[in-house]
Amino acid sequence: MSFFGFDSRLPRDRGHQTSAPGFGATQDAFDGLQSARAADNDEILNFDDTYEGLGGRLDDAADDLNDDTFGDEGPVTQKNVGRDFDFSGQTGNVAQAFEEERMRWAAQHAPSRVSPVKKAAAPRHGYRPIQELEVDADLWGIAKKEPEPAAQPPPAAARKAMTLEEVEAMMQAQSKPKAPQQAAQQQYGEPSMQQGSYPIPTNPQEYQQQPFMQHQGQHHQHQGHHQQHQSQHQQQQQWPAHPQILQRPPGQPQQQQQQQQQPPQPSQPTGQNRPPQILQRQRQPESSPQQQQQIPTGPKHHGRQQQQQQSAHQQAPRQILQNPNRLSGPGQPISHQQFQPGHGRGPSGPIISHPSQILQLSDEDRAAYLQEEARRAKRNHKIHLLSKHNGLMTPQDKNFITRIQLQQLVTATGSVDSEGPEGLLSEDFYYQVYSQIRGAPRQNPHQPANQFAQTYLFQTGGRYGQNRRHPRGGENHMQRMEQQVQRAVEAAKAKPKNKQLVIEGSLGKISFSNAKTPKPLLNIKRLDSDQSVHVRRPSRHHDPTEERRSALKNIEKVYGALMETEDHARLRPLEESEMFDLWAAKTQQLNDKLWASLKAYEPIVENHATLHPFIAILSHAKGKKAIPRVFRHLSNEQRTVVLTVILVHLDTLDVVHNALSSPIPAKVKEDIELFVNAVIPPLFSHLNDSPLVITSGLLGLIVSRCDIKAVTRTKIGLQLLTMLVARAELLREAAVNGTGEPGSGPNEFAQYTSVYNDFFNALEPLLMQIWPRDASGREASPLASEDVYVWQFLAAMGATASAEQQQRLVLGVKDRVMSSVGAARTLPAGEQERRLGEVNLFMRALGLDVELLA
Amino acid sequence: MADSANDSSNEPFDLVRLCLDEIVFIKLRGDREITGRLHAYDSHCNLVLGEVTETVYVVEEDEDENEHVRTVKKQSEMLFVRGDSVVLISPHAA
Repeated sequence: MSFFGFDSRLPRDRGHQTSAPGFGATQDAFDGLQSARAADNDEILNFDDTYEGLGGRLDDAADDLNDDTFGDEGPVTQKNVGRDFDFSGQTGNVAQAFEEERMRWAAQHAPSRVSPVKKAAAPRHGYRPIQELEVDADLWGIAKKEPEPAAQPPPAAARKAMTLEEVEAMMQAQSKPKAPQQAAQQQYGEPSMQQGSYPIPTNPQEYQQQPFMQHQGQHHQHQGHHQQHQSQHQQQQQWPAHPQILQRPPGQPQQQQQQQQQPPQPSQPTGQNRPPQILQRQRQPESSPQQQQQIPTGPKHHGRQQQQQQSAHQQAPRQILQNPNRLSGPGQPISHQQFQPGHGRGPSGPIISHPSQILQLSDEDRAAYLQEEARRAKRNHKIHLLSKHNGLMTPQDKNFITRIQLQQLVTATGSVDSEGPEGLLSEDFYYQVYSQIRGAPRQNPHQPANQFAQTYLFQTGGRYGQNRRHPRGGENHMQRMEQQVQRAVEAAKAKPKNKQLVIEGSLGKISFSNAKTPKPLLNIKRLDSDQSVHVRRPSRHHDPTEERRSALKNIEKVYGALMETEDHARLRPLEESEMFDLWAAKTQQLNDKLWASLKAYEPIVENHATLHPFIAILSHAKGKKAIPRVFRHLSNEQRTVVLTVILVHLDTLDVVHNALSSPIPAKVKEDIELFVNAVIPPLFSHLNDSPLVITSGLLGLIVSRCDIKAVTRTKIGLQLLTMLVARAELLREAAVNGTGEPGSGPNEFAQYTSVYNDFFNALEPLLMQIWPRDASGREASPLASEDVYVWQFLAAMGATASAEQQQRLVLGVKDRVMSSVGAARTLPAGEQERRLGEVNLFMRALGLDVELLA
Repeated sequence: MADSANDSSNEPFDLVRLCLDEIVFIKLRGDREITGRLHAYDSHCNLVLGEVTETVYVVEEDEDENEHVRTVKKQSEMLFVRGDSVVLISPHAA
C-alpha cells in the first residue's frame, strides 16, 4: 500500500484475489474490451441482432404509468429529482475520514513499535494511551523470526475478498451498539494502570500479534474505503478494541473473560500465572472463538487472512515500518539484532527476555522492574507521539539529501574560514542541524550551533533525543554517509586555501567558486595606480589617446573629490561643537583625497615624453576650470606646490606649448582665455601672499628649467613672468618703504637680484620675439594685435631693472615702441589714448613717457 | 580616493563622464548627427550640449528618381537631447 493508494504490496501480500473486485484488486479494466474486440473479429455484429427488435414491441400508448415510475409530471428540475439516494452526501461526509485514515495509516506504520490502537482511541478517550501501549517485542530481544506454522494457511483462501454478504454482515455488526464492550475495555485499562503491569515480555507469538493487529486494522481500512464508506467512521472507532483485547495487560477482568472463553486452564497462582495465561491465549490466535467474538468486524475468514499477512510481514524487513510508501521486499533483510542495542540500554537491570524470568525475581526486583517498564512504556508513548512523521523519508531520500548536503558542504567549506559561525550556519543550515541532532561527531571546527541545534531539537520535538541513538534501518547507511561527509570536510580543510589558480601566460586568474562567492570568470587585477604607473613608465613613445584618457580620468577624480569636499565644507559645524573635530578630520581626509587626485605632487621628471599628470589635467578646459575651485580647499603649502608645478612646466603647458604656432588656433585662443580667467587669478592671489623667497625661487626655476624663448613668446608665459617680477618689485618697494614683510630682507633681495639678472640676460636676446605674431609668423603690426600684456611685462621688468638693464631693455624694444606710438597716433582720439597708455606702462616704469618721443 | 578612482571606468556612463565639457559627436535616430560640447548627461542618456552643430541627412529624389542625400545643418547655442534618440556618443576627433 502506498501513500497514493496504489497497491504496491507484493503480489503474495495482496489480500484480495485479483479476480474479485475489491480494494487493491489489479484487474485489467480493459480486459473485457479486449475480449469483446476479439469477438468482433470473429463475426460482424448485426445491429438487429443486438437490438433484438425490442423497439418494435414498444407500445407508445402504454406510458400512463410513467409518472408513477419517474415521479409526477412537470419538467424535471433539480428540485424535484429525488434526493433520497446518497452518493455524495454520506460518502462525502466520510471522504474526510478516508483522508484521515490514509494519513493515520501512514503515520501508524511509520513508528514501528506503537500500535495503531492508541491513535484511533485518542479522540474518544483523551489521554489514556499509556495503558494501551504495547510492548515492542524486539525490545526484549525476542527472536521472532520463526513463523508460526499454523499461520500459513493456503494463500488462495487468505486472499479471498469479502463477498457482498460478508460485507453486509459486517455492516450490520457495526451498526449494533458497542458501548458495553467499550466500557469493559476502559474498565480493564484502569486496573492495569494501577497495578503498573505493563505488557510483559512474552514469547514470539505475542510479538507476532502486533503486526497482525496493525495489519488487520489496515485491512479493514482498505475494505472500508472500497465498500463501506458510511460505516467507515464507526469501524475506525471500533478498531481500538482489537489490539486492546489482545494486548491488554493481564488485568483481572480480562483474565476472567479469558477463562470464560477459553477451555479451563490448570489453576495457578494469580500473579505468576498471568504471563503463561496470556501466552496460552495467544497461542491460539486464529482458532479460538474468543478472538472472533472480540473482533466484531472481522468475519471468520479474516483471521486466516490476517495470519497469512502476518507471516508475510515477518519476512518483510522492519524498514517497512519506517517507510510506509515503499514496502521493501525480502531483498533487504535487516537482522533484528541490529536494533537491540539501542533499546537494551538504560538502567533496567537484567534483560528479561522471557516471562519466566520475571518469576524468578524477588518482589522488590519485580516492582523495580515493573516500574522500569512503566517508565519505558511512558517513554515509548512519548516517542510515538513525537514520531508521527517518522518514516516520511526513505533511506534513499535521506541518502539523496545527504549527498546534496555533502556537495554543498564541500563547496561551502571553501569560504568557511572567512565566515563567522553565523555565516557557517546560513551556509549549510540543514547539515548543521542534522549533524547536531544526530549527535554526530563534530566535524566542524567552529562548532557553532550547539545551543541552536538544541533549540531546534526542542522545537521539532526532540525526536531523536540528545544522546539517544535511534536504531533504524538506515543507521549503517547514515553512518557511512556521515563518515563520508567527515572525510570530505577534512579533505576540504586540508586542501590549501588557495582560492585562485594562476595559469602561466594567462591574462587573469581562475578562481574557484563556492556557493557563497560564485566564480568570477576572470579576475584581472586592477591597480589603483594604473594611470600613474602608465604615466611614469619611462618609455619615450607614448600613446596620445591613452594619455588623454588617463588625463580625463584624473580630471573626473579631481571633480569627484572636489564635489565631496565642497559638500562637506557646506556641513561645517560650529567650531565649539563636538562635531567639529570629526568634521575637521573628515575635511582633512577629503583634502588628502583631493590633493592626491590632483597629482600635483607627482615627481617632476625632466625631459619626459609624457606630460606631468597635473599639467595633463590643466591641459583640458575642465581641468583649468577646476583650479579656482580646488584652490579654495588647498592649504598654503599645497597651493605653493601647485604654483611651482605650473611654473616649472610653463613651457609644456598647453596654453604655452600650443600658442607657439602662428596663427594661434581658435581653440588654443579659447584655452588661453580660459587659463587667464580661471587659473591665473588664484595663482596670482596666492603669489601675492607669498614671500620673496618663493617668488625668486620660482623665477629661478623658470630660468633654469624652462625654455625661456618659448615661454616669453606666449601671452600666458609672459603674464606669469610679469606676475612674478611684479610681485618681487612690489615686495621690494614695500621693503624700501619700511613696510616689508618678514622674509624679504636684504639677503633675499640679493638672491632675487641675482635670479633676476639671470633671467634678464636670458630674456634680452629674445626681446624682439616676445611680440604677438601675425598669421605669417612675423611680428604683428601694433595695430593688429593686442600687446598690452607685453607692455605690462616690460614694465615689470623695467621697474626692477638696474639702470644698465633698463638701457638694454629700451634698446631691445625701441623699434616696437616707436612703431606702436606711430601707429597709435593714427588712431582716433579714444583708441589712440588707450594705445599710448599701454606703451606708457613700460615707458613710465623706466621713468620715461611717450610724450617725450614726440 | 580609492573608491571614486576605482569606479572611474566601471560602467559605460563613466566613459561618457570623461567626455563632460568636451566636444562630442553624437549620432541620433532619424539620420541626425550632433557635434557639441557635452555639458550634462543622465542615466537615460539625456544630454545637454552647448555650441551645437546639428546635421540632418535628408534623402531626396529628383525627377529621374536618383536619390540625393542632402544635409541640413543647424546651429544652436544650447541643446537638450532626449536620451531615447541617442544612438552613439563619441569623443570628437580633435
